[in-house]
Amino acid sequence: MDTPKKPVPIVNPWARPFWDAAKEKRLVIQRCKDCDRYIFYPRIACPNCFSDNMEWVEASGKGTIYSFTVVQNNAPSAFIGEMPYVVAIIKLEEGVQMLSNVVECDPDNLHCDMPVEVTFERLTDDFTLPKFRPVTISSKR
Amino acid sequence: MSKLKGKVAIVGIGEVPTGRFPETAAIYHAIESAKQAIRDAGINKDEIDFCMPTASLFSPQFNTELVTCRVVEELGLKNCKKNCQVFSGGSSSSCGLQMAGSLITSGVAQTVLFVHSDRLGTGVTAQGGIDLFSTAGISAEWEVPFGQHYSSIAALSTTRYKYETGCTDEQLASVCVSNRKWAEINPNAFFRKPLTIEEVMASKMLSTPLRAKMSNMLFDGGSAFVLASAERARDLPNTPVYILGESGVVSHFVFSQEPDVSRFGWAKSAKAAFGEANLTPRDMDVAEIYDSYPVYQMIGFEELGFCERGEAGEIFMRGDTWPGGRIPCTTDGGMLSKGHIGAGGAVSLLVEAARQLMGKAGERQVKDARFAVETATGGTYMDAQVTVLGTEIP
Repeated sequence: MDTPKKPVPIVNPWARPFWDAAKEKRLVIQRCKDCDRYIFYPRIACPNCFSDNMEWVEASGKGTIYSFTVVQNNAPSAFIGEMPYVVAIIKLEEGVQMLSNVVECDPDNLHCDMPVEVTFERLTDDFTLPKFRPVTISSKR
Repeated sequence: MSKLKGKVAIVGIGEVPTGRFPETAAIYHAIESAKQAIRDAGINKDEIDFCMPTASLFSPQFNTELVTCRVVEELGLKNCKKNCQVFSGGSSSSCGLQMAGSLITSGVAQTVLFVHSDRLGTGVTAQGGIDLFSTAGISAEWEVPFGQHYSSIAALSTTRYKYETGCTDEQLASVCVSNRKWAEINPNAFFRKPLTIEEVMASKMLSTPLRAKMSNMLFDGGSAFVLASAERARDLPNTPVYILGESGVVSHFVFSQEPDVSRFGWAKSAKAAFGEANLTPRDMDVAEIYDSYPVYQMIGFEELGFCERGEAGEIFMRGDTWPGGRIPCTTDGGMLSKGHIGAGGAVSLLVEAARQLMGKAGERQVKDARFAVETATGGTYMDAQVTVLGTEIP
């Protein structure tokens, strides 16, 4: 069976700055200038105060694993070759959550609330995905 | 608080067995279930003036047939004024019931037929099912590119739930065992052989800590109910099953946006629904808690108030939720053992709640059942719908 190509994000136009930044290995999220909340995923209006007055800001790239799983069987077709892979919900320092993969890790040693930092993986010429890796002593610098 | 309390009742129910039926047309599951429900209600078919088919997922072509009045024509419902789909994924049971109830209390409709059917067992391949459920309801921008699918979603809830409560894998497995106990005595269930914790624990790991036998499987099937005013219901043969309380919380579309994947909105929704009914979990004779994966049944059970957080594991382990137990739970075997038929997982549960309250559950009958609660959730556990039903109006 031919393995289908990995799905690329179906991008909403107003989220384009996020994906453009990811290509440059930068993690950007929105911030509402009226209520000061960070916003992810990108919206057309602040989901807290409904303001249109939002800006793009650089995120710290630091966060924790809110929850995770190691996919070992029954993955979607395009991901069968990736198994085992880690799917995790990352809680960024800015307070927003995003789904990603935890990479460069021993899946057996992951735990909830573990500190992680962003890293970037090229998917295609057009897309680079933000992924996360455990924060090690050396990477703390 | 809604205006439905005590004003409308389920008066008839129908259901076809859950399984793999490649020789049968998909429409059969809809029209056989509907036929049974109409006959069970003891009404003339031409009393149905509103047909409400919920969606089928296996084929857009078939779903279009449901939308374009096929059920009405196949059954010859001569006085049907409207055929209109109500669909909210897995919570279609509760949403459909409340929409139908609203139509009746407002006078728009007199007698509503709600029907579900799907063919996920033979209409799609096993990998096709995985692929369908790695895109259906999962964000194509924010989750699909990372390999998210329903097993990983359930696993994410399970990991966090275990972390926060200390729940063990054996306790998770005991939910599967509990549901199987009920399925063993449900002729419409697919998995009817006894199941042990050891067998669950020995099954293939899918997404840690979720194993194959902790996962639902997709099948063909269907079920239906007829809803009428309380006044009309009292003239009909079945014990009327009144809506006593209902509420819901919509929490997310993208699963990873949910701030609490091991709680969701159940507590708030349950408080409102029980409050409207003027009842408490203690008053419930039956708890029809949406399962799909064991963690969600435990979360629902706890958040509704049947026990404290973190205690569900011990309760399921002890057999309190089994046939003859103190709190009979998910008495048709649920999606874990009866089988997952798409939006119909919870329609089955709602039909089972009505069946128990009508006293027609056969070997599974909970003695003198007067009050039941049914829960449902759609998409990636996007909402928390709670409905309290009863044969009396407190």
